[in-house]
Amino acid sequence: MSLDYAKNDWYAVADIFCLKDGPRQTRLLGTDLTVTGPADTATVTDAEGNRYPAQLRFDHVWTTLGDAPRTLFEIPQGDEPGRRRVPCGVVRVRCSPLRAVENFLDIAHFPFVHTDILGSEPQTEVRPYNVEIRDETDEVWATQVKFFQPQAARSAGDGIITEYDYRVPAPTTAVLYKTCPPKPEAQDVIAIFVQPVSETECDVWPWMALYDDESTFSEMVQFQHEIFVQDRSILENQRPVKLPLDPRMEIPMRADLTSVAYRRWLKKHGAFYGALTEDA
Amino acid sequence: MTAFTLYNYVLSGNCYKIRLMASLLGLDYETIAVNFYPGFEHRSDAMLALNPAGTLPVLTAGDTVLTDTQAMLGWLALNHDPSRQWYPAADPLLGPEVLQWLAFSGRLTNSAGLARLHAMLNWPVDGEAARRAAVRDLRELELILTDRVFEGRTWLVGDRPTIADIACFPYVALSPDAGLEHDGYPAIRNWLYAVRSLPGFTTMPGIHELHELREPADG
Amino acid sequence: MPSMPVGLTRDLPAGRVMHAEVDEVDVVVWRAANGEIAAWNNRCPHRGMALSHGFVRGNSLACLYHGWHYERSGRCSYIPAHPDLEPPATIHATKYAIAEEGGVIWVAIDGDASGSENDLDPLRSMIVDASEETLLTAASATALGGGLPDAGPEGQFSFGADVVRLLCNALGENRTQVTVLASPALPVPRRRALSRWCEAMRRLAEKGGAS
Repeated sequence: MSLDYAKNDWYAVADIFCLKDGPRQTRLLGTDLTVTGPADTATVTDAEGNRYPAQLRFDHVWTTLGDAPRTLFEIPQGDEPGRRRVPCGVVRVRCSPLRAVENFLDIAHFPFVHTDILGSEPQTEVRPYNVEIRDETDEVWATQVKFFQPQAARSAGDGIITEYDYRVPAPTTAVLYKTCPPKPEAQDVIAIFVQPVSETECDVWPWMALYDDESTFSEMVQFQHEIFVQDRSILENQRPVKLPLDPRMEIPMRADLTSVAYRRWLKKHGAFYGALTEDA
Repeated sequence: MTAFTLYNYVLSGNCYKIRLMASLLGLDYETIAVNFYPGFEHRSDAMLALNPAGTLPVLTAGDTVLTDTQAMLGWLALNHDPSRQWYPAADPLLGPEVLQWLAFSGRLTNSAGLARLHAMLNWPVDGEAARRAAVRDLRELELILTDRVFEGRTWLVGDRPTIADIACFPYVALSPDAGLEHDGYPAIRNWLYAVRSLPGFTTMPGIHELHELREPADG
Repeated sequence: MPSMPVGLTRDLPAGRVMHAEVDEVDVVVWRAANGEIAAWNNRCPHRGMALSHGFVRGNSLACLYHGWHYERSGRCSYIPAHPDLEPPATIHATKYAIAEEGGVIWVAIDGDASGSENDLDPLRSMIVDASEETLLTAASATALGGGLPDAGPEGQFSFGADVVRLLCNALGENRTQVTVLASPALPVPRRRALSRWCEAMRRLAEKGGAS
């Protein structure tokens, strides 16, 4: 059953903004939920009145439907002083939650989907990078990813070679750590917390923890919205809707090592919610 | 010296009408990012003082404050178009036609625009009703643009693009964001392509670049 | 399976791409710079992106997602992320048969494609939320200028000397793509009137509910 693995993860179902004017009605893994604020003492209940655990982390309310939930991952940069933390609200996408994550991990699409912002022709080459599954945390990591970007961040001036690390700490969360122009020794952190509404629909919560003393909060949110909604029209047009885990169904290149590792990781753990397998 | 200041949200189709028109006219302008979503900043006291309607965009230039997108398009064309072709306001036939299409563009905001807000940002509106209204509006536009094909014409009014085309373009182009594809509207598809091919055209999320117009990559 | 009419020649100039659906298969139809059209399965084999969102460069169709280029043969010829790589021959689009006749584009999922003989001009292409049977019934009940049409075989309807033919491509149980042909060289006002007759036919067909 595709829900077996999925039930025991934590998922973002609200942020610190949306509960201010009243509860949020939402759906997680096919179950209708009501999330009631305030955010730091939020309650999560279903239609039958059952209560689910809730915690406030990374400016979002997280919940789980499982009886034996895994520990929620850490993103220590979120607590570092001087960083601006930017919850960006939620965007609904009619796609598999796993497709949303995989798109976030991909850089070869930058010149075509985020043209003149994250990439431009003819600088389309994806140079070799490093991918591993870190045993201690059982997470997929891609490091030493480099790409030339015309406008990598709001804090960037002209084009720069941006360096990225990617991390998948859970099936429907992806975190990227990127070159931080004002503070080259640090990394900006950008994540998407994907709330699976169903296997073919998700609510995506982008979140950032950056060093940027120039941009307004609105400017930072809008930059993230711009990038994410550019991806949305790709995500809603991929077929099959569910992410195929059979390697013969879609053809990866060397630029796709992160996605290959991600799909292999999902298959190994039986994380099939939103996936297409030979058994499904 | 910039031509105007735009209170802007990057995902707003209405704000994009102004960004697009300014780009087609080659204008420099200042942008103030308003936290429309998730902050609902357009309803803040400060923004309501500027625009009691609580909508975006807002355009300011000197003492002028404009809060309606159609008025802004008219202002841009009348003040910054030396060719006097983007809004032939004084033409007794073409002028009223432009006004009629500007009114139609308002209907599109409330049908296709609303359907998109519902589908993408979970706006608390009747999404199904908005979609039905959007289909009705898209079919109406397709009918008129099909007339244009019979007439050997490309644009909504007269023989060149006007603010009528720019006003109607965004929410039609973005209707797939709400699952309303253009398969049944070939005349609309060709008109969208004509707009996207204009010199100075600029995109917004959901409307892709015409990569075919770029220099081909080596290979 | 027979060929299905998917659109008009005039609506697909060189360098353009469109989406079509034939026998419940998603199809991309595109025209190269040299004027040649092709119909392929609408899925890039890389990550399943709809090729109908792609763009034409010269005589190749490129996928919007990662810019993979496919030449007319269907073979992938260029992968921007690896510009020096010769893409393996196994990476290719799935091709379908296509034909262009009398200003109409026809696609067949199995076998050859061919158009139907006629000496009519294309009028327009539209989608009706009704079955073919329902819309043809509605057409025979829709008047133009006060008179009902004489219904002929194969979706043909006559208003005096003027003929309209409805070519149908089923998109689902209650959804049909209709390619409308009409007598050649009609004056523009007459064409506009026939186009509005199509709207009236659609309104009646869609009011009819399930066929």
